[in-house]
Amino acid sequence: MSETSATNQQRRTFLGILLGGVGATLGAVFAWPVFRFLAPRETGGAGSLVRVAKKDVQVGGAFFFNYKGHPAVVLQPKAGDYIALTAVCTHLGCIVKWVNEKGEFLCPCHGGRFSATGQVLGGPPPRPLETYSVKIEETDLVVG
Amino acid sequence: MIRTLLTLLVLSVLCGPGLAEETVCLQCHGGQEGRLGAPVALWKTSVHAANGISCHDCHGGDPTDFGTAMDPDKGFIGAPEYEEVPAFCGRCHLGVREDYSSSAHGKALNRGGAQCVVCHGNHAVQEASIDLINEKSCSRCHSYERAAKVKKAIAQTEVNLQQLEDQLVELHRVGIDTQKISGQLFASRNDFRRLFHTVNVEKMEASTAGFATRLSKIESQIQTIKNELSQRKMIGGLVVLLLVIGGCIAMLIRKSYHEEE
Amino acid sequence: MNLPKLAVDWLDNRLGIKDLIHQNMGGYLLPRNVNIWYTMGAVLMALFGLQFLTGILLLVYYVPDTEKAFASVTAIMNEVPYGWLFRYLHVVGSNLIIIFMLLHMMSVLFMGSYKRPRELTWVSGFTLLNLGMVFCLTGYLLPWSQLSFWATTVATDAAGAIPFVGDFLVSFLRGGPSVGAATLGRFFALHVMILPLGLMGLVGFHLFCVRRAGISQPPFGKDYKPRTFGPGFEHEHHPDGVPFHPNYTIKDLSMTFFALAALVAISFYAPWIFIPPEALVPADPFVTPEHIKPEWYFLWAYQTLKIFPSKLLGLAAQGAAMTFIALLPFIDRGPERRPFKRPLFLTCYLLGILLFVGLSIWGHFS
Repeated sequence: MSETSATNQQRRTFLGILLGGVGATLGAVFAWPVFRFLAPRETGGAGSLVRVAKKDVQVGGAFFFNYKGHPAVVLQPKAGDYIALTAVCTHLGCIVKWVNEKGEFLCPCHGGRFSATGQVLGGPPPRPLETYSVKIEETDLVVG
Repeated sequence: MIRTLLTLLVLSVLCGPGLAEETVCLQCHGGQEGRLGAPVALWKTSVHAANGISCHDCHGGDPTDFGTAMDPDKGFIGAPEYEEVPAFCGRCHLGVREDYSSSAHGKALNRGGAQCVVCHGNHAVQEASIDLINEKSCSRCHSYERAAKVKKAIAQTEVNLQQLEDQLVELHRVGIDTQKISGQLFASRNDFRRLFHTVNVEKMEASTAGFATRLSKIESQIQTIKNELSQRKMIGGLVVLLLVIGGCIAMLIRKSYHEEE
Repeated sequence: MNLPKLAVDWLDNRLGIKDLIHQNMGGYLLPRNVNIWYTMGAVLMALFGLQFLTGILLLVYYVPDTEKAFASVTAIMNEVPYGWLFRYLHVVGSNLIIIFMLLHMMSVLFMGSYKRPRELTWVSGFTLLNLGMVFCLTGYLLPWSQLSFWATTVATDAAGAIPFVGDFLVSFLRGGPSVGAATLGRFFALHVMILPLGLMGLVGFHLFCVRRAGISQPPFGKDYKPRTFGPGFEHEHHPDGVPFHPNYTIKDLSMTFFALAALVAISFYAPWIFIPPEALVPADPFVTPEHIKPEWYFLWAYQTLKIFPSKLLGLAAQGAAMTFIALLPFIDRGPERRPFKRPLFLTCYLLGILLFVGLSIWGHFS
């Protein structure tokens, strides 16, 4: 083992660290586009206000629609009285069904029951359904 | 208006080239001599041919059947009379027809006022350009003085339109989706060109500012894309530099081993 | 407590990885004068790895449907963040792979490394080159552009010249009488599933062959003596050689860096040299674009077909040339590997390259 070998060893350690740095930087520079490519894109607040035609919501009936990427429902228990809620059960995320005869929601997955205003009536759901504000216009309802 | 034009644009882009197949019109007239065959060769050089607008699109008839190809019942129209030409072309070029009709040219139509083909030619029609307004062409009918004023009034906007079109072609070549901006530009260009057909200098000067704003909006969109492209190149340059540095460092390490071998 | 050491020991107890690594890395001795052309394999492996990665990413947003494919590629290029980057890397990468494969093959030919006992390494390598070209062919149908559509139409049409089964073969390749939805379906399956699996298997086999026979001594320098191999299996040892790792792995790494630099540079500054204008227009089965040309690596074949009076003769000539190259180690059996002691071979080699380049240039301008 000569002297050159020792200095070479030192040189290699130094160069190795440099190379590692370059490699790590390149890795990060490549990983960022991969992350951005796969990350869900901002919708720019689109869908935070949804219009529903009044004629779609019968008295005593329920109308399902999409709100901010999730199913939601509008009810009209009495003429001119509208309630909008999320249709996603607070238990495990199934979509609740409107049972017209009983005037309540039933979750088909584990039998959770909610009132027309979203309160838990029975079953496993831990929280009531979230409600959304409804603005009544001439022909449409504006939810959100 | 814009919407109609856009629809036309989209339609012509979508189904345009598909229509320019060998119709019976071309098969028969293509082999004829003189007056009957000449339009085929002329048409092939035209902007209509390039966009898939074929004989029957203007002259009607049935392009798939020799027997009824020239049957008036199938909508065949032969050569229109001099005064009928604006209505003939105006079936597609609606906006231009409207503004032309209100112009000095249009009002004088029955007294030999210039109509479409006088300036644009017929079968060999080319993409319209400002060069159509020239002393030789205009002074066939009247002094060039007034035409020169009109030309001056539209010159700057025409130059801007052309530059924007060229820039969009460049962007499309490098993979940018220019469809939306092209649509906006196409609509602006058409609104401007139909306005020109009023040959009314005051009217044109009054709306030049409006067109300038419209075009500058399009230009700023193009500029945003260009800025992003040059930013990409800068980052790309840095990455290339890093890779070359990495390669060189590895080379140096290799050299240090080589000295010991 | 040293956790990494514990983990290594645990694995070593079960798999014997320390021995395995030593045998294939530090203890694997290579000739002292291994040159730069011996790094082509590593560069190709890196590029293939990148193709897999970018390909999987593109697959996330690409839609293999004739109605939607072009729009989905346009969306990848314009709307998905950095979609353009991965598409360009994939397109440019595929072309670089062909270039590096050709360089790899040319250096192997020049140094006579395909000779006994490396016949299977050569055959698998040549098959990989062809697989690479099929990859490219199936890949550029996928964006469903004018280029895609007509390049595929022309390429599949060539099979029609084969007697008796030609017409059937063409419709079998296309999945119908003409290129359409059925063609896109089968080319897509080939490109993203069948070919990658085949490629992985074949690369594995190729590497196995390389490792089993040992690295060939470059046929240069005054100490070089042609080696004859007996009838039995013989590994080419280099007892006074240099360890593969780190002495040569660092060289492989260095060349890989430079190759990636070329890839990134082209992808950022001039990707359109590999993307003709027809690739930017959606496919239209009713309008054949003028002056349509195949990709540069198919130009020689395209021009060959044009030279011969009948398509069948052209195809036969191509087939004969390809078969000859594939079977070269079984034809050229002498032990001599020094290029300048093989004048006949060297002449054929240079003429062959000239022919390839000449036909390609002719094809480009014809």
